[in-house]
Amino acid sequence: MKFKNFFFRSVSITGIPIFGLLIFIVALFQFIVPIFNATVGDYITNLVPVLLLTVGAAIVIIGGSIDLSIGTVCGLSAGITMWTLASGLPTALSILLGIATGAFFGLLNGFIITKFGINDFIATLATLNISGGLLIVLSQATDLYGAESEFFTSLVYGSFFGIPTSFFIAGAIILLMQFLLLKTILGRRIFAMGNSGAAANVAGINVRNVKLATFVLSGTLAGCAGVLLAARLGGVQAFLGLGYEFTAIAGAVVGGVSLAGGRGSAAAALAGGLFIGTLAQGLQLIGVEPIFFGIVSGLALIIGVIFDQKIQDIGQLRSRFDSRVLAQPPRKEGDHG
Amino acid sequence: MKKFLSDPILGVIILLLLVGGVASFTVDVFFTLQNFTNFLSGSYFVMLLAMGMTVVLISGGIDLSIGAVMALCAGIVAKLALQGMSVPLVIVCALAVGAFVGCLNGLLVTVVGLPDFIATLAMSAFATGILFIWTKGTPIVGYMDETYKQIGGLAPIYRGVTVPMVTAIVIAFALGAMLKKTKFGVHLFSVGSNRLATRQSGINVTKIRILAYVISGVCAALSGIIMAGRNTTVPPDLGGGYEVLAIAAALIGGASLMGGRGRILGAILGEVVLAMTINIINLLGVPSSYQKIFIGGILLLAVLVNQFVISLRTKILMRSTNKKS
Repeated sequence: MKFKNFFFRSVSITGIPIFGLLIFIVALFQFIVPIFNATVGDYITNLVPVLLLTVGAAIVIIGGSIDLSIGTVCGLSAGITMWTLASGLPTALSILLGIATGAFFGLLNGFIITKFGINDFIATLATLNISGGLLIVLSQATDLYGAESEFFTSLVYGSFFGIPTSFFIAGAIILLMQFLLLKTILGRRIFAMGNSGAAANVAGINVRNVKLATFVLSGTLAGCAGVLLAARLGGVQAFLGLGYEFTAIAGAVVGGVSLAGGRGSAAAALAGGLFIGTLAQGLQLIGVEPIFFGIVSGLALIIGVIFDQKIQDIGQLRSRFDSRVLAQPPRKEGDHG
Repeated sequence: MKKFLSDPILGVIILLLLVGGVASFTVDVFFTLQNFTNFLSGSYFVMLLAMGMTVVLISGGIDLSIGAVMALCAGIVAKLALQGMSVPLVIVCALAVGAFVGCLNGLLVTVVGLPDFIATLAMSAFATGILFIWTKGTPIVGYMDETYKQIGGLAPIYRGVTVPMVTAIVIAFALGAMLKKTKFGVHLFSVGSNRLATRQSGINVTKIRILAYVISGVCAALSGIIMAGRNTTVPPDLGGGYEVLAIAAALIGGASLMGGRGRILGAILGEVVLAMTINIINLLGVPSSYQKIFIGGILLLAVLVNQFVISLRTKILMRSTNKKS
């Protein structure tokens, strides 16, 4: 009985079900294709920028909004980084400029949404077009490749103890975001706002500022993703980043981040993003042709979401937790904050 | 006056006057019949998409799959035409596929209970994937003949009248009448504004939501048939991004993502505004790379104008109720 309770309690934590599924498919692929282990590190290095976007998307979605601009903002950040690097600015400065581009667009999104009360979907759709358009203009004005900086390429291609540097960077950022969401006041407020903006407002939370913060965070993460993307690709093309936003949102939702807001975590988004990515990589190794990936990713999306929903239902019915506690990260006893 | 003020298309009309006004001052050749038919001929298929999207938006959902469904149906038209199937049969097949995908969307959203955003996003990946497998990644070519030229609007059927134009007008009237005059239309608005209340008043909400997706699927199929004729080839990535354009047009035309609000005429005018903007910046000689930035800007402007109209309306209505009491 005790084990049963423990089991249902743990599967009802957001992200755990999909993490289990992730381990399962990794084991499955390893069983079918023994070289899976050797190639997966390489593949995740490619996936790192999208994982950062997924976590950014998750933060905004937990706050009850949606950010469609992250993909193209990531592309634009990559473009800006490449451009400033190629025009001879110090590496650190151009990296900062790339991240700042992301943060600026996050701020712009948040400003438009909170100041003018414009729907988040439309506002970020507009900034999607604007940032994507700026990258097209930028890429036509200059060549966005050929920057030579050892430090820059070492961001992705360097390694500590055999583990690629970008893992450490992304891991640190995602850990920070997990901490921010689950252990800080701002995180608590983001969850409160996602559950009910009106209730959060009545409770004295400055909902506008919290919403602004979520968009700035996701923009900044898109900027970081853009810098890493530029470092990996070594060149930036006009349509870079277009469509990444849907991959990112899909990853977050598969991980158990609810589009209704108020449920999820950075780790859950990471698990979802890794799940979709690993599936694609594994299938490629098995020998499925790339043209089937569209269908597979669609299927993964539907199955992942249904799986998560069903497990959550079972967990909620069986465990002694009630749904209100489940909607939020587990809290310690005696914690009423 | 009150009725006019609460019409969702008021905002887009103001925007249309604004953009048209700017154009008439800056570009000489803007107000010519030639120019109008020019930029309108490229926008009929997006209008069809936007009309279908408006129906789904009114029902409180969103359909991200229409771009991919449009491409899939264009692929079906091209493939079947290559095999020598007669034109009416080809069109029926494409429409059936559109309706089927729409129905699938509706079932995923209502019966399975997936979020509409996710279900239609997955469906979009499916449809694109099927087209990719089918075409093996290369464009379908060589199916064009006189009939398909006419269907795509490359050749007129009578002087300036083209098939896409007629289709768009017919569908607009049909959907407009459906929304305004039929029970289904009223139910659609009701589902969009308050799903729970509608269910409790004994209306089959599930059926209505599924039908909304079917309508948008059929509109996407029609758009795909026209696209096949217009584009003369069907590359596998044909549909990329058109759903976003359709959503933009519908929203500019006064539809709301919250549901329960929207007009077919609004969707058409919304697309006209978008096409007009692109036309103007082309005429002004701005490089086409700047297009997307302008589309983003016009989208923001449209929402601001819509919001301004809503706040103005609230003010005026408040004043008139105050007078009465």
